[in-house]
This record gives sequence, structure tokens and C-alpha cells, in this order.
Amino acid sequence: MKTTFRVLTGACVASLLTTSAAMAHHSFAMFDRSVEKVATGTVARWQFNAPHSWLYLNVKNADGTETLWSFEGSAPPALLTRGITGTTFEPGATVTVSYCPMRDGRPGGGLGWVRLANGTFVNPSDGGCDGSPQAIEKWKAWLKAGYTSSADALKSK
Amino acid sequence: MNLDRNLRWVAVAVAAVALFSAPSMLVAQPGAFGGGYGPPLAVVPPPKAFASSDEHYQFLLSAARGGTKHTITSVPRWDGLWVTAGNTHMNSFIDPPGFAGKVREGVLTPPYEKAYKERWRQQQELGEVQYDRLTHCEPPGYPRWLLEPYSHEFVNLPHESYLINDFGPGIRRVYIGQEHKNVYGTHSWYGDTIGFWDGDTLVTNTKYLLPADFTRWSPMTSNQFESVETWQLKKYPGDVERLEVQVTFYDRHAFVKPVNAVYAFRRGKELEAAGHRVQHWECETSNNDVLDKGTTTSRLPGEAGFKDARGSTLFPDLPGQSRDPIYNTTLPSGKEQK
Repeated sequence: MKTTFRVLTGACVASLLTTSAAMAHHSFAMFDRSVEKVATGTVARWQFNAPHSWLYLNVKNADGTETLWSFEGSAPPALLTRGITGTTFEPGATVTVSYCPMRDGRPGGGLGWVRLANGTFVNPSDGGCDGSPQAIEKWKAWLKAGYTSSADALKSK
Repeated sequence: MNLDRNLRWVAVAVAAVALFSAPSMLVAQPGAFGGGYGPPLAVVPPPKAFASSDEHYQFLLSAARGGTKHTITSVPRWDGLWVTAGNTHMNSFIDPPGFAGKVREGVLTPPYEKAYKERWRQQQELGEVQYDRLTHCEPPGYPRWLLEPYSHEFVNLPHESYLINDFGPGIRRVYIGQEHKNVYGTHSWYGDTIGFWDGDTLVTNTKYLLPADFTRWSPMTSNQFESVETWQLKKYPGDVERLEVQVTFYDRHAFVKPVNAVYAFRRGKELEAAGHRVQHWECETSNNDVLDKGTTTSRLPGEAGFKDARGSTLFPDLPGQSRDPIYNTTLPSGKEQK
């Protein structure tokens, strides 16, 4: 019974997500959606503005320097119904995100899921990358195994 | 036990719908933009063929004996937030199934069909069209307004209705019981809309529109595009309330014959519960025309041309000019880039 409800809930959420993914007013062709990567950084700004939100993170490089990364998320009306508001990611907070990188190699991407400092996962994604509950479950296992790229995780299979 | 078994079947059915309808949702087949709420949408064609939107509108006005004269207490109220609840838009122009479908021949005139086939090729092969005016903050205009998937508000007064989409926002004004006027002597994004009430049904006629496109995956329309709409709040079993808009599009340059479609809205109770209030859109967050080989016009902080949606005004030296007064965050502007 529990499992059935879980499947039903999952299916409903999947249905809602595919709809919201289609809600964006512009294309996502600038993001490479065949690859998902993970980055951890401190929030420089959570720009909860319509028609697209942006999460800006300062991410530490291997040499100790920092790069400001930009991740595009969904529109506020869609995010509000997922429990995400303009105060969900406060400046200075450390978060981990999944993203689909920009095709031109600049430090940015389509935002997938975000893991908050307390371990909670939320889904601010639009059509630029997959932040769905299914993607979160998949990544929980991959993160545990130490992967930060879907390509590496899939290669190991 | 039986309940569990039944629920399993429901779960499988919902999962199947979720998985297999996704591609069609993307191209706005009936499941698109909030579809699946309430019974399937059905197009109701006009009672007969009309040569123009004027003739169509006048026929309906005569049938309604000049229309119902509502007062402030009797005019139908569609208060609150609304969201899209499906449409049959793409069914008019693309054969199923969704993105794998082809442009339906014979709906558009030869030059418009040729242009649309190229647009559809771009959408299918490149995953996007090479230009979408919304990324330049041009308004959706009409008829794209009907398709915009975000929140809507509808304010009815006896002399005028305000139909609001949160893009921009984009506002259509319906002048009740009036004639068309065009004192500007030109066409515009939303044109001129007149209307009348037939009981609880709002009937409108829109003309004087700019040539445009429905969406980046739709056909183009000409400066002769006109429409007749009927708006009615319908109730179905299961406490389903749906505002249904039956539309006939007229365009002697683009369409071989008038095109009929239906668009729907439902109450956005979840948005109201979440505290949503419509705000003006920030254009800076959405400029992203995709150029060749993955390059884009989108500019990131620090890059020349980056426009900060939460930066400062033209008078940054004056106190209180930050556009982010709660968190006071700053991002590197283009000027700081070496």
C-alpha cells in the first residue's frame, strides 16, 4: 500500500514536473543536458526574479581561487508551488547543486537540484536540467559513491 | 487489499501518462501548459462559416440581442489567480505526436506554410528557433497571450474587462459594448478588443494586431490576424472549475480558412496558498538567444554586456539606490571585467 502511494505520488510529481519544464518562455539549447555535474559553493545571490531565477555561487577552484558560477532555474510561480521562495538560499549559505553545463564552457549551467546545508534536497530546476525527485534519488547514490559527474557515474557501470 | 490493487492500476496509469505525454506537452498538444485538469477540451466551432471576424462578432451580438447589460453587482466575477489548464493550440498546426509530428499541410497559405516548415525544422533539429522575441523583452502580444503559461488575473467590470498575464505583465483590455477605435492609426501588440456579455459568457473581437508568432514553435501571423473569442466559466463534477476560451482566428494572409481552437484556465489555488503575487518581469534574467555552436547572447556577471537585475539604478551614488535592499548582494558588472 505504502509503495503504491509512493509510486502514485512519484508519478504525479513527474507529471507536474514535465509540465513545469515546458513552462519556460525560452529555449534551453545553450545547456548541455546530456551531462549533469555537481558543484558546491557559497551563495552569492539567489535571484528569485521572473521569468527566470538565477542562483549565483562562489565555487572554490583546485588552486584555492574562487569562480562565480551562474545557474538558471525556473520561474517564481513554479518554484513557489514546490516550496521554494526568495529566501530559500540565503547569501553566504553553503549548498551543493547539480547542473547541466553551458555548451560554450562558461561558468554556468541549467540548475538541477540543490542540497541545502541541512541535507535537504529541493528542486528549483526548469527545462535546463533535471532536478526531479527521480534525479535526486539517482544522485543520492552517486554522491555517496563520490561522483560529481553523471558521465563518470555512468562510465563506471 | 482491493483498494491497494486499484491504486496500483491508478498509479501505473498516471505514471504512463506522465512518462509518455511529456514530449507532447512540450509542443502544447492538449496536455500542454496545465492540461489534464478536468474533462478533455473540445473545440466548439462557430455556428456557421463567416467571411470575417466582424461578421462573426456581429452575428453573435445579434443573437444575444445586443448583449446583456451587466451592473457592478451582476457582472460575472473571475477574481483571484488563474493558471493555464490546457489547450488544443498545436493540434491546429501539427500532426501528432508532438515534436515528432509534421506541419499539417493545407492549414496555412503557401508562403506561411513554407515559413512555418523552416521554423519547425529549426525547432526539431536545433532544439530551438533562432529568434524568440520574448528573450528581448518584446511583449508576447496577441494571440501568444493565450498560450503564456504563467499566472493570469481576470477583472470584469460592467464597462471593461482586464485580462492580465504575468508576462510583463501583459494586459488586454476589453471594451464592453463599444465599437473598435484606432486613434493611433497603427497596429499594436494587443490590438483593439471590444466585447459584450451574453449572460455569463464574454464575447470578444480583437483586431489591429502586429504581425507576430504564436510561440517559437508556432506559425507566424500577419497584420490582418483577427479573432472572435467566447469566455465561459464551466463547472464539472469533482469541484472542477475551468474558464474555457473558444477562439476563431481569422487571417487572410496566413490561414487558408479560419482556425478554431480552445484554451483553458483553472484557479491557481496552490499559487495563492503559496503567497504568490504577480510582479513585473525582469528582462535581464532572460536574454539568451542561442547562436551558432553553443554560444549564446546570455551574459554572466563580470562579462561585458551583463545587466544586473538586482543591481543599482542610474544614480548609484545616492543613498538607497540598490535594487536588492533586503540582502544587498552585488555581482561584478561588465565594467569591472579586465
